[in-house]
Amino acid sequence: MFQNYFKIAYRNLLRHKGFSFINIAGLALGLTACLLLGLFVYDELQYDKFLPEGDRVYRVYNNVTSEESTDQITCVPPMFGTTIQENFPEAETVLRIIMQPWEGKSLVEFGDKRMYEKGGLISDPTFFQVFPLKFIYGSPEKALDDPTSVVISDKFADRVFGNVDPVGKKISIDKSSFLVKGVFESNPKFHIPVNFVVNLAIMQLEPERMKSWGWQQFYTYVKLKKGTDANLLQTKFRAEVKKQIDPETHKPHNYEPVFQPLKEVHLYSASFKFDQSLRGNITYVKALSVIAVFILVIACFNFVNLATAKSLQRAKEVGVRKTIGASRGQLMLQFLGETLLLTFISVVFAAALTSLLLPSLNAFTEKEMSFNVFSSPGLLLLLLGLLLIVGILAGLYPALVLANFKPVSVLKGGLASTNGPGKTPWLRHSLIVLQFSLSVFLIICAVVVYQQVSFLHNKDLGFNKDQIMFFEMRGNNMYQNYETFKTELLKSPDIASVSIGYGFPGDATAGDGIYITKDGQRVNHSITHLMVDYDYIKTLGLEMQAGRWLSKDHPTDKDAAFVINETAVKELGFGTPEKALGQKMEWPIWGATRKDSTKKGEVIGVVKDFHFKSLFDKVDPAILQIFPGANWKVAVKMKGGNVAGAINHVKAVWDNFSPEYPVEYKFMDDNFEVMYKAEDKLRTLLWIFTGMAIFVGCLGLFGLAAYAAERRKKEIGIRKILGAETSSIVTLLSKEFLKLVLIAAVIAMPLAWYAMSKWLQDFAYRIDIPLWVFGAAVILAGVVAFLTVSYQALRAATLNPVKNLRMD
Amino acid sequence: MIQTQNLEKVYRTDEIHTTALNKVNLEVKAGEFVAVMGPSGCGKSTLLNLLGLLDDPDAGSLVFNGTEVARFSERQRADLRKRSIGFVFQSFNLIDELTVLENVELPLIYLGMKNPERRRRVEEVLEKVQITHRMNHYPQQLSGGQQQRVAVARAVVNQPPLILADEPTGNLDSSNGNEVMDLLSELNRQGTTIIMVTHSEHDARNTHRIIRMLDGQTIMTEATVSQAQASMVL
Repeated sequence: MFQNYFKIAYRNLLRHKGFSFINIAGLALGLTACLLLGLFVYDELQYDKFLPEGDRVYRVYNNVTSEESTDQITCVPPMFGTTIQENFPEAETVLRIIMQPWEGKSLVEFGDKRMYEKGGLISDPTFFQVFPLKFIYGSPEKALDDPTSVVISDKFADRVFGNVDPVGKKISIDKSSFLVKGVFESNPKFHIPVNFVVNLAIMQLEPERMKSWGWQQFYTYVKLKKGTDANLLQTKFRAEVKKQIDPETHKPHNYEPVFQPLKEVHLYSASFKFDQSLRGNITYVKALSVIAVFILVIACFNFVNLATAKSLQRAKEVGVRKTIGASRGQLMLQFLGETLLLTFISVVFAAALTSLLLPSLNAFTEKEMSFNVFSSPGLLLLLLGLLLIVGILAGLYPALVLANFKPVSVLKGGLASTNGPGKTPWLRHSLIVLQFSLSVFLIICAVVVYQQVSFLHNKDLGFNKDQIMFFEMRGNNMYQNYETFKTELLKSPDIASVSIGYGFPGDATAGDGIYITKDGQRVNHSITHLMVDYDYIKTLGLEMQAGRWLSKDHPTDKDAAFVINETAVKELGFGTPEKALGQKMEWPIWGATRKDSTKKGEVIGVVKDFHFKSLFDKVDPAILQIFPGANWKVAVKMKGGNVAGAINHVKAVWDNFSPEYPVEYKFMDDNFEVMYKAEDKLRTLLWIFTGMAIFVGCLGLFGLAAYAAERRKKEIGIRKILGAETSSIVTLLSKEFLKLVLIAAVIAMPLAWYAMSKWLQDFAYRIDIPLWVFGAAVILAGVVAFLTVSYQALRAATLNPVKNLRMD
Repeated sequence: MIQTQNLEKVYRTDEIHTTALNKVNLEVKAGEFVAVMGPSGCGKSTLLNLLGLLDDPDAGSLVFNGTEVARFSERQRADLRKRSIGFVFQSFNLIDELTVLENVELPLIYLGMKNPERRRRVEEVLEKVQITHRMNHYPQQLSGGQQQRVAVARAVVNQPPLILADEPTGNLDSSNGNEVMDLLSELNRQGTTIIMVTHSEHDARNTHRIIRMLDGQTIMTEATVSQAQASMVL
């Protein structure tokens, strides 16, 4: 019996090649999209899962509430860790990692090898207790007990030592000597992009400093004892924080510590501040999952539509089989089996296509996903599951329809029950409407995302980020003689200006307090500090709103002048930029030996707001001042024309000052490109998969149009004999489908508008969804649908009418 | 073998009720060869569909071999069909995707017959209708007469006691038509009961009796010469 079913299925497949192709191609494409997106989503969900006992590890971050908003700040004061350790026995191990740029590079030297390595962590020695990474050499116990010990990654070890056990060897990191105590295996699924770890003790931080409740500089993790209720501990810890801080500051604090489970760190921290983890975005993961399901559903609908439309051609067979004695169940089994066969072929194609496309997706997403059906039973099971789900989803309804045909009516050739004159095939039409709703929805989303991402890249940032070479100062000579270094750099005719400081756009900035006097009261305000020099404005091309910029001509500018931005004018309550001029300010100097040592001065200018952070964030209030003590980064504005000349000059000057450090630089605009990487990727993925969705949908429409043209052959013949022109026949056939696309658009538009408004809310600076997007989406869907349908309509309309009529 | 009493069938659309069969009473005995005649739309085919359990009656009784089958479930009807009734249609109704052999084999597959036996039976019946040389051809590769012989072979392959034929010669030229009629007569001689709807007086004359219908009712039954001959032989 099954042999007979298979035979029929196989011969049908060959006989109706066009329909088989549409079905298989559609399903295979849908499944491929689903598999690729599925792999991506699965990969995103794997972060930190490899860590043993990771379910007991929590990251402690802070909800910091200001008047305007609540921010999730991942850096917390050192006292958070200390307090948890000392007051709560439920905590097994506490780990603090000091916040410094993980992307920042350290010079590593061993023998005659010199290279920059990033991903250096300065952490409590408990690092490998909380994150038990696998050790290749050495052992995690006591590996970090010594301030001069270092544990390095296998990749680091490979680059520096080659393929030998480096434990016990001494290396120099940023000119300090360290003893290698262990080598751990890098894991791309670890949310911390760690390359090497040294003990926090190396920083020789003063004990007093480590008792701070205000210095938010530490990533803090805690591993709880088995059976501890993290929520309960969180509540207890919040109370403890309140108990300790409020008496000290004489006012209610604005901290709200949160224990974030390790497994949520990667995907649920997209909007967190100061987070340097490898982060994904759960919204994007969800969106891509939904798109995967969309495409698969569209492909399944194609199948249902085509199969029910084609069912008329199978009707006779059903009639004969029933007459001979086949039961409904047997027939359903037969047709379901046919769908499964077709789905099986599609799954095989999809698997092949996925293997083919995965390297590109890997390159694009910078992942290392693998898709090997033969070595992974789980994957095989997944494919089998997909086969069954899709096969049944797509095949059940057509099987039901076919098996329900009455032999009497089908054998007579009349099938009034399913498709009589004047009767709408409502199911087929609803499915087309649904398919095109999904397509229009995706088109609108793709366009809006495109617009927003372009906006991010092109928005006027209030400064000019182009042709600025950017690097960190290296070596004592460069630091100590920064002014000479600058003068030397400026000697090149290809260099327009140079600025040295701490707090350049797209780079690390510091937040700290500033005192102003308000109504006779000294008030502390939190504000971003940009440590600049006289040429900062020229190098970045900033504009003044009021007053003047810092100048060498005013000797007091060095020690007693502040420039603030427009937002600071508002936040500090000065009213207008003009009124801000002359306001007194006081800043507790960083690193001052005396606690009460402050820099006193007044506001001499207001600079127009510029975006020194990404457009996800509103411009923070900022204060710009001269403070060479914080000099760290150099920005070199080139004239253009001879970029290579400028770079060579910088290299030569660098080598004069710090020959012991290899030259290392990047460009400022790259900093900004990196900020929107996730959005750039989303934009591209959306376009690709929207394209796929539309294509798969059109495949189905193409098949249905062919079917409709076939079904109405006789009508078309009669109309032509009566004098109808080709155009009127094309219109006749296309109208029916275009109507459906319009209905689909009406359904999709508000949904897309809602989804995109939600998405845009994440951006502090965003586009208004332009109305033309909706029109364009409808027109695009309409045109694509029309082209698809009209091809078939035209074919039908240009056939010789006599031929069409002869079939009766 | 078959008795109907007040058998009724009404076709309903939204506005129109058409009575296709109006209180039909008839009896067909085992071994009979009966022709049903009448103008188009008189209800011949409807009657045949009801007798073949392809359609449900709206009222009345239908007894098959002593069992009331008018209210049989779909499954029971399918079962009865596959064991006891063979069908032959005017338009042959062969499955285009299957070869001659596979078409004829189909009823045996549904009966669950295993292969060596199944194959033997199919070849035997193909031999009988003289189409063995074409058994691996597809229906479209055959002439109309050949196709109808295959259809007859399929109808009798599971040796049903009853064959229902709906204008079996309607699509054939006279020589092919005669061949098919000969085949049916031969089957009847071997004991199969046959009820045949036909427009052809010529074909009808080769049966035992003719039931004439008009407007959904049987109006008259007449014995044919063959019936007289049959009686004489008996």
